[in-house]
Amino acid sequence: MSIPESISERLTQALQEGEADTAEEVALEALQANLDPLEVIADVMIPALTEVGRQFQAGEIFLPELMMAGEAAERVTKHMEAAITAQGRTSIPLGVVVIGTVQGDIHDIGKNIVATMLRAHGFKVVDMGRNVAPSAFLNAANEYNALIVALSSLMTTTRPLALGTLNLFKEVGVKDRYRLVVGGGCVTRDWAEEVGFDGYSEDAAGAVELCKALVRAK
Amino acid sequence: MHTNWLVEITKRAQSGPYMKESDFDLKVIKRIKELVKEKGIKYDPNVLCPADDDMADRVWEAGLQLFLEFGAYCQTTERCIRFTRAEVLDILAEVRNEITLGVGKDAVVMRHRGVEDAANRAIMHSGPTGLPCTERWHPLILQSCAQEPLVDCLGAGSVSTYFGEKIIPGTPLEILGARRDASVAREAVRMAGRPGMHINDVAVPLTCAGKMAACDPQAGLRPSDGILVSQMVELKTDFDQLSRVAHLYNTGGVTVDLMTPLIGGLGGAAPGTAVVSVADHLLGVVLYDADYHMFSLTHLHYVNNTDPLGLWVNAMVGQALARNTRIVTLNDVYVISGPGTKELLYECAAQAIIGTVCGFNMQGAGTTGGFKADHTTGLEARFIAEVSRAALGLKRQDASALAAELLTRYQATLSSPNRGKPFAEVYDIETVQPKAEWLDMYYDVKDDLARLGLVMKYAPRPASA
Repeated sequence: MSIPESISERLTQALQEGEADTAEEVALEALQANLDPLEVIADVMIPALTEVGRQFQAGEIFLPELMMAGEAAERVTKHMEAAITAQGRTSIPLGVVVIGTVQGDIHDIGKNIVATMLRAHGFKVVDMGRNVAPSAFLNAANEYNALIVALSSLMTTTRPLALGTLNLFKEVGVKDRYRLVVGGGCVTRDWAEEVGFDGYSEDAAGAVELCKALVRAK
Repeated sequence: MHTNWLVEITKRAQSGPYMKESDFDLKVIKRIKELVKEKGIKYDPNVLCPADDDMADRVWEAGLQLFLEFGAYCQTTERCIRFTRAEVLDILAEVRNEITLGVGKDAVVMRHRGVEDAANRAIMHSGPTGLPCTERWHPLILQSCAQEPLVDCLGAGSVSTYFGEKIIPGTPLEILGARRDASVAREAVRMAGRPGMHINDVAVPLTCAGKMAACDPQAGLRPSDGILVSQMVELKTDFDQLSRVAHLYNTGGVTVDLMTPLIGGLGGAAPGTAVVSVADHLLGVVLYDADYHMFSLTHLHYVNNTDPLGLWVNAMVGQALARNTRIVTLNDVYVISGPGTKELLYECAAQAIIGTVCGFNMQGAGTTGGFKADHTTGLEARFIAEVSRAALGLKRQDASALAAELLTRYQATLSSPNRGKPFAEVYDIETVQPKAEWLDMYYDVKDDLARLGLVMKYAPRPASA
């Protein structure tokens, strides 16, 4: 069943304008009308939020608009996931990303933007916050059955901890089970490739594309 | 303020209302949007330096209101530290309006500056702001700054290795690195013949322990020097930062409030960023009892503050604070270009003109958006100081027109910046003087500014050049 325009347009608008209450209302309406929650996610949410991400990357909107759209998306996703689970289907369209700022680094705006954008594109994101120990990344990757572990490192002095996290995954022999990616102000593509990360991105839009590519290559 | 106040802040950090950090952020961004609308604060890209006292006062009122409603968020306890209006106003009324930096013949007095203030020149801080240096070139880069006669203070910057080994926060190498960088800065000012010059921080340590390790009256930071106490964007602190305040209270060092608001960050567009930047300053006044404030505004995407939004935000924040407080603050000039490019100098000039006219002291330059190690020299610090002195007495309308003209010289490169060359390629590493190519660019840009009406008398182009 395709999504009626009345629902599709209102949900798109509410998501893009960050109107969380309205978005939630329309989402519940969609479910009451027995629309397929996976279709709502794929045909309405992801395109709407992809456009939000594009506008953010182009500097047409700023972080508040991105975050408010993210909040609206989270409220809608909660209902859609519950409905999908109730139908006995899988609720994760793309995969799980465990994300965090590496140990010693207290800067997390960049990481937060990437997390919001990944959620907007259909990933389930486990946000570990900032100053995350290598072992905490490892435990979370295992606990949430992650596909991708994304590390953020802004300060030059915290880059060794990004490497330390990668090394821990190698040492315990689980590196091949996950895709480890890295980004942030002090990291370069050359360095990321040299030390053995599975991917690098210099911005949030690139991080989304990178994670999608890793899903496709799975 | 006294130690009892810090005891009270610590108590409130443990007893204030609990809130998830993401909820705090969302509430802040929504309230900023409301305040911008309520106060009618509007950005006009055609007026980079508005001469609008009423709007400056509305920016102030909105920032004060934001701080009164939200206070500071303590990341350690996940609680809000709140203050009453009376507490904030009492502290503001008593705040110091000048601070002596450095000692002896090298001491300078950094003052609260007014809008279009022709009487008080801006004090010039230099050093590799926000940009890592390598162990090899760090000493010469610092010396290139400290030896500039128009430079008043030095920031020690940050080196990310210790004898080739990566420095990790919280490890012994952080302590060793902090002590090494502090002693290199101390030696740089001594070599420059200015042993009493104020050193405003050693940036490599990210922990309070590391900052404390940099303090050493013989070979490191002295009580006449400063330590940065940082805020996390926006309106956030933690016990590590507050512990730095405690240390400085008891050792008599200079407390420097570092805030790094983001253009396009939680404040959103320019008006909201201006509002939250005023609130950030208030956090530094009330929680940190700062001797002076370091306003390190950068664009979320470009990591500079010389785009039209950055220039406007600096203009409005400077005016709001100059008109409504007695605080001493400086404008951290962040540019996207690198040494050996004219764009870097034009970016510096635009920001220095607006900052000076709007009540700031100066710091700079943070080059290449912080991306390219060693891409920083003393020449850009000299240039900012010269421009700032030449801009004394300018009216805001004139500053606005000049900045708009300068913007045309570099705006096209904002999305594809020219990062220039590292220190060792633009300076003679034996004499620690700029090479001819870099100097020629400097003279050319000064000539261009003179044609635009901003005449700099210091260090004219030699007849043979």
